[in-house]
Amino acid sequence: MGKDRIGKLVQILSRNTLYAPVKRDGITTFEKVEKVEDIKFDYQNSDVPPKNVLFPQTETTFKYTLGKDQKIEVPKENGKNIILGIRPCDARSFSILDKVFEKDFLDIYYSEKRENTTLIGLSCNEPGINCFCTSLDGGVGDKEGLDMLLTALEDEYFVEIATDKGKAIIENSPDLFSDASDEHAKKKDEINKRAESLMKRGISVEGIEEKLDKIFDDDLWNEISMKCIGCSVCTYLCPTCHCFDIQDEATLREGRRIRVWDSCSNPEYTLQASGYNPRPARINRIRNRIYHKYKYYPKNFKVIACVGCGRCIDKCSVNMDIVEVLSRVKKI
Amino acid sequence: MADLAKMRNEIKKIVQRDDVKYVIGYEKGTYGWRVSPSFARTPEEVDKFIFSPLCVNNLAVYLVLEEKLPLPKGVEKEKKKIGIVVKGCDSRSVVQLVQEKAISRDDVVILGVPCSGVVDPRKMKEMFGKEIGTVAIEDKGEKYVIVIDGKKREVLKEELVSENCKTCQYQNPVISDILIGDEIKEKKEENYSKVKELEEKSTQERWDYWKEKFEKCIRCYACRNCCPVCNCKKCMAEKTTPVWIRRSVSLSENAGFHIMRSLHTAGRCIGCGSCERVCPMDIPLSKLYKKVEKDVIELFDYRAGLDEEEKPLLSVYSVDDSNEYIL
Amino acid sequence: MENPYLPNLAKIENVIEEVPGARAIKTFKLSFNDEKLQQSFEYEPGQCAMVSILGLGECFFALSSSPTQKGFIEVSVLKLGKVTTALHQKEIGEDLAVRGPYGNGFPVKDWEGKKILCIGGGIGQAPLRSLIKYVLDNRDKYEKLDVIYGARSSSDLCYKKEMFDMEKREDVDVHLSIDNAEEGWDRFVGLVPHNLTRIKPSPKNTIAITCGPPVMIKYVILSLKELGFEDSQIYTTLEMRMKCGIGKCGRCNIGNLYVCKDGPVFSWAELRQVKGEM
Repeated sequence: MGKDRIGKLVQILSRNTLYAPVKRDGITTFEKVEKVEDIKFDYQNSDVPPKNVLFPQTETTFKYTLGKDQKIEVPKENGKNIILGIRPCDARSFSILDKVFEKDFLDIYYSEKRENTTLIGLSCNEPGINCFCTSLDGGVGDKEGLDMLLTALEDEYFVEIATDKGKAIIENSPDLFSDASDEHAKKKDEINKRAESLMKRGISVEGIEEKLDKIFDDDLWNEISMKCIGCSVCTYLCPTCHCFDIQDEATLREGRRIRVWDSCSNPEYTLQASGYNPRPARINRIRNRIYHKYKYYPKNFKVIACVGCGRCIDKCSVNMDIVEVLSRVKKI
Repeated sequence: MADLAKMRNEIKKIVQRDDVKYVIGYEKGTYGWRVSPSFARTPEEVDKFIFSPLCVNNLAVYLVLEEKLPLPKGVEKEKKKIGIVVKGCDSRSVVQLVQEKAISRDDVVILGVPCSGVVDPRKMKEMFGKEIGTVAIEDKGEKYVIVIDGKKREVLKEELVSENCKTCQYQNPVISDILIGDEIKEKKEENYSKVKELEEKSTQERWDYWKEKFEKCIRCYACRNCCPVCNCKKCMAEKTTPVWIRRSVSLSENAGFHIMRSLHTAGRCIGCGSCERVCPMDIPLSKLYKKVEKDVIELFDYRAGLDEEEKPLLSVYSVDDSNEYIL
Repeated sequence: MENPYLPNLAKIENVIEEVPGARAIKTFKLSFNDEKLQQSFEYEPGQCAMVSILGLGECFFALSSSPTQKGFIEVSVLKLGKVTTALHQKEIGEDLAVRGPYGNGFPVKDWEGKKILCIGGGIGQAPLRSLIKYVLDNRDKYEKLDVIYGARSSSDLCYKKEMFDMEKREDVDVHLSIDNAEEGWDRFVGLVPHNLTRIKPSPKNTIAITCGPPVMIKYVILSLKELGFEDSQIYTTLEMRMKCGIGKCGRCNIGNLYVCKDGPVFSWAELRQVKGEM
C-alpha cells in the first residue's frame, strides 16, 4: 500500500473506534483518533503501552443503585475497535495477557474488548536503545498477536495479513492495496534484518526458570532492591503487567465498582487487615515481581511475561535494569 | 568539581568505620548517560562511586525508605549510621528530615560535595538518547565536555543543565561532616520567572494549562516516592477511611492529589526538582512546587532545610501570627 | 457469558454473635434473593465466597456452612477493618452482595475411609466447621473424626454452643482449650500445638487439617511432623489479601500458586516446594 493512501485507510478505519499513537505535550500514547494528521507514525514506542485500550486504567465493572429500585447493571461494550500502528512487542503482550484473563474464569471485560479489536501493527525500522524483544522470542517483524502488519518501505507499506480480521480490512477497501512483488518482500526482509542488528541489548533466558528456583535466597535481591523507591512506573508502563485493585465508589444511594491498575511494588499491596504483610520489604516485592515474570507465569502458562519493550528501563528513575539483573542471575 | 580519587579515599575511610552500616553514593548506570544510586558496604564497593553532572538523584530519600521491620526476639536494633553523599540541594533535604525528627543527626554521616549543576534528563535523552556506550560528562564552567567511546564533544552548559540548577542558591552543602571538593564562590539569584509567567495568566488560562498536564498523570506516585520529605507511614492518597482521593484515575482525582501534595510539602520542599525529573509523563511539577515555595517566602519569610535546630514552619505558631483571615 | 465480577444479592436470614467485645466474631446466615440460584448453589467444604457491601468493598470469607445444609450459606466474620466493621452493623433482612464459590475445597472424596483430625485456632475454625459438618452428615464414610480447637479465652471461642453439643456426641472426639486459665474452665489450658502434642494422635490412616493464625499453623505443622505425619497427610487452608478472587489480580500468590484459585486448601507437600512468601 502506498504511503500516500494511509489517509484514506484511516478514514475508512475510523468508522470504528480507531486508536493510534498520538503525541500530546511530549508524551506518546494510544488514543482515539479520527484524522490521519493526529497520528504520529515516526515514533519509537509509546510511553504508555496500548494495554490501556483493552485493559483500561480505570474500568467500571458495574453500577448499582440502592433502595427500592435496587439494581446492578454492567456497562455495555459497544462497537469494534482498531488499534493502528501498534508495535509487534505490544501486540505480543496481548497474546500473553490473554492467558491469564481467559483461564478458569473468563474475564468478560477484557475478552469482549479483545474479540472486538483488530490489531494493525507497524514493524520497527529502528529499535529503541533498551529494546530486547529478540531475546524473548519476539522480533521487529513478528506477527504474533497481530491481525495485520505494516512494514514501512521507502514510499510504501509492505502489508502482511495474519488473521481473518486482517483479511477483512483488505477486502473492505481493496482499491487501497495492491499485490506485493518479490522485490518488496526482499526489501522488507532487509529492513527487518537491519533493525534487528541494531538491537544492542540482549539476554539469554534459557534455563532461567530453574536458575531462579535455586537463587531465591541470594544476596543479589537485597542489593538490587535497595535502590528501588517503590513507585509504580515500571508496572504501569509494562505491557504485560496485569495486577489490579477493585474499589467501590459511592454516594448515598448509588455508586459503581471499579477496577484500577495496581502495582505489586506498592508496600500495601499484600497488607492484610490484621497488620500482617507477607511481603513487608522491598526485597520481597522486587524479587516477587521478577519471579512472577520469569518463573511463576511461565510455570502456569508456559510463556515468559515480558516482551522486551524496555519501557521499564527507560522510565525507571533509579536505573533498575531488568537486562542487567538477568545477566547477573545467569552469572551466579 | 570533586577530585574523584580524593572522594573515594574519604568515603573508604567512612565505610571502614565500625559504626557505619553503608554509604550511599552514585555509580555508573547500566547504559549511556544513566547514573544509578549505589550502596557501598566495603571499600571495594566504594571504587564504583562517581560524581559528575549526571548524578541527578536526591539520595536523601533512602534515609527514610529503609524498612524498619519487626525484629525477632533477642535481636537488638542495629545502631549503626548511614553515610550519604549529598549535593547542595540534597543536604537541605537531610536538614529538613532532621528538623522533622524523621531521622536523627547522629544517624547519618554526611559527605558534602559542592555542585555546579546537574543535567536535565529530558535534554540528555534528546541529545544522547541513542548512545548505549558510557557517556561521561565533565563540567568546564561554561561548557560540558562529553566523552563517548573515547571521542570528545563540547556542548554549551546551558543546553543540558537542569532549569532548577540555573537559579540554585545553595550550591554548597549547608551541612556536612566532611566536605569533598572546593567550595563554590559564585552566587546565583533566584528569579521565579517561570512562576511569574504563570501567575500573570488569568485563572481560566492557568486551569487550562494544568488541566492538560494533570490529565496525563497516571498516578504512579513516583513524584511522591522520590521525595525525601514525603515519608508519611500512610499517605493521604491511599487512605480508605475516609477516602480523600479516589483510586480512579481522572482529572479531578489527579488534580486533587497534586494540589494536596504541594500543600502538604509547603515549607518543607527544598526545590531539588526530583519530582519533575522522575515523572514518566513529563508533568512540569517544579512549577507548582516553586509557586508554593515563593508563597512561603512571601508570607513567612521562611526557607526550608537550612538550620537543623529550627522548628518546622507549619508545626509552630506564635501569638503574633496574622489573624486577618479569621476576624 | 457469565461475568465473574458480578455479585448476586443475598439477604441476611440470621446473625449469631459468636464472640463479643473487641475481637468480635459474628456468623451471618445468608440466602440468595434469587430462589433458583440458592437451590442450584453448590460448593465443597473449604470453598470461599466474596461477600461485599455495595459501596464499601469486598472481603473473601470461607463458607463455614456445609454443602449438606441446603437453602442457605453461612460466613463467620471477624471485625477487623473497614468492610468487616460495617458488616457487623448489618441487621437481619438487609442485603449483601455475594459471589462465589471460589477456591478449591477440601478433597473430601479422596479422604473417605480415613480418620479426620481438625486442628483450629480462633477464627480459623470457620472453614474447618464446614468440613466437620460435612463429615458428620456423611459419618459412615469416615473412620474417625477428631476436633482440636482453642482460642485465647473462653469468650473468644467461636461456635461455643455447637462445640459443647459436639462434645456429648459419640461419633466425634472434641478437645477444646484456651490459652490462659479461667475460673470454671476444667478442660485443657494451653496453646493449641501443646494440646495436640498432649493428645498424641496416631498418624496411621489420618489426615490432619489445620487453620488459624500463621504462627499457630507453623507450630502445629512442626508438632505433626514430630508425631510422624507425612507431608501429604497434612493440609492447611491459608488466607491472603484478595481482590478478584479468581486468580487474575495477582495479589494473593505464593510463588506461582494463587491462594484464591489453587488454594486456599493446600497440602504441606505442595506448599513446602513453593518458594514464596506466605
